[in-house]
Amino acid sequence: MELGAVVVVPAREDLTAIDEAQPHALRACENPRPLYSSRMPILGNDVLRSWMERVRKLGVQSLWLTSNPRDENVACSALAGFARQGIERLLVIKLKSYAEMDLADLLRFHCENRNPVTEAQDARGQLGVCLLDHLALHATGEKYEFSCAPTDSGRTPYQFRGYAKRILSARERQELVGDALTGACAMRPLGTQIREQVWIGEGVNLASSVRVIGPTYIGARTIVRAGATIGPFASVERDCVVDCGTSVERSTVLPHTYLAPGLLIRHGLVDGGHLEDLNWGTVADLEPAGLGSRIRRRESRRQAFSEIATDVTSWAARASTWDFAPSPTASQPWLQVQL
Amino acid sequence: MKGADMKGAAMKTVPWTILPFPCASSSAGRRGLRKDVLIALRVSGSPVIVDLSGCGTLNHEDIDLLLECVAQAAGRDTKVLFVAGSRVNRVLLEVTHISSLVPVFNSVKEALAYPQVAAENDVEDRRAS
Repeated sequence: MELGAVVVVPAREDLTAIDEAQPHALRACENPRPLYSSRMPILGNDVLRSWMERVRKLGVQSLWLTSNPRDENVACSALAGFARQGIERLLVIKLKSYAEMDLADLLRFHCENRNPVTEAQDARGQLGVCLLDHLALHATGEKYEFSCAPTDSGRTPYQFRGYAKRILSARERQELVGDALTGACAMRPLGTQIREQVWIGEGVNLASSVRVIGPTYIGARTIVRAGATIGPFASVERDCVVDCGTSVERSTVLPHTYLAPGLLIRHGLVDGGHLEDLNWGTVADLEPAGLGSRIRRRESRRQAFSEIATDVTSWAARASTWDFAPSPTASQPWLQVQL
Repeated sequence: MKGADMKGAAMKTVPWTILPFPCASSSAGRRGLRKDVLIALRVSGSPVIVDLSGCGTLNHEDIDLLLECVAQAAGRDTKVLFVAGSRVNRVLLEVTHISSLVPVFNSVKEALAYPQVAAENDVEDRRAS
């Protein structure tokens, strides 16, 4: 029986566009939205790649990548298209969680229970991973909402009891960072371990007076200026600049972020000019106060999907076994990745 | 303005001063209000509550002014408290270390319950009686 796999990458809203259209929208209200996408690295790791590796271990030779910024659902017509191509079972992964899941076990469970659809869930609910049989693929309806609707009573969900965190929640993301830094989960920081529970990426520039307190990760090409303190339980991802005297504790700083001198970032997640404070559960705009900003990259990559395409292209360039081509038939943008 | 003027009979003899933080959109208006705040801090012999409730967000001029307020109060007997007025402002005060220099509260009511202000109030009440 042929098994196919689809990974849906939830695209984040473009905050720049919101700023331009409604200059006061972010400033006037207390904005509890997550600011980052599921493609943002966690300790240098790409969660998409970890799911791809799990799919590859299942014996699947290729998977389809798609991104839908509007409702994050997979169009029914696309699912029916898989059925027409002879796919009899489809694994759909919405990239919203990191889970150390044995997909073979999920598949076994699905086969044994003979459900048209099997959703994976943990104690906190759905993980965004499900298996569909050809019956479900052929099902009528405009859309198949595989991750939003509560599990029907007729379906038996797959109860996952292993390690899982929702990467779209700043709090759980920070918990994942802490767990990975302390070895409480299988994820490991991408870089060189320079001492116990301290990792740094390639090309990191640390001033001599910088204090690095483990567990901590500093990503590739990040610059940390004099008097700054990084850690404990801090993750400063790649291509950031932490200016003089600033402290980053129990926080994550996402790539391409500049932090001004003398700040205290504690229990937060900083993405460019925005800080999501985990204690107060709110998002503050750092830019008007000159406290933080996005470091502009050479080429603008405003669409999450184009980020996927670029990443996949670069992976393909590095690993010749990987190849992709856009689907000629799908209405949504799709990429097929050879695993 | 004096607290007694603002809060009515329930706080009749309270000697604290509430200063609404200037959030003028024009730089001229901002300068005028800024001057008022700093003068009020200088001349006030009672605790001063700087209320940021009217500010949706803080820009770098606001942060500078808040730091000036802290500097004005330092070395004097003037006790300064800030009322953040919103969680966003509270976060910005924490990020800039201001909340480690000056007590910060979510509302004027909370600030008035601050022990040092309450103690000053008690002293004033005893003098009055």
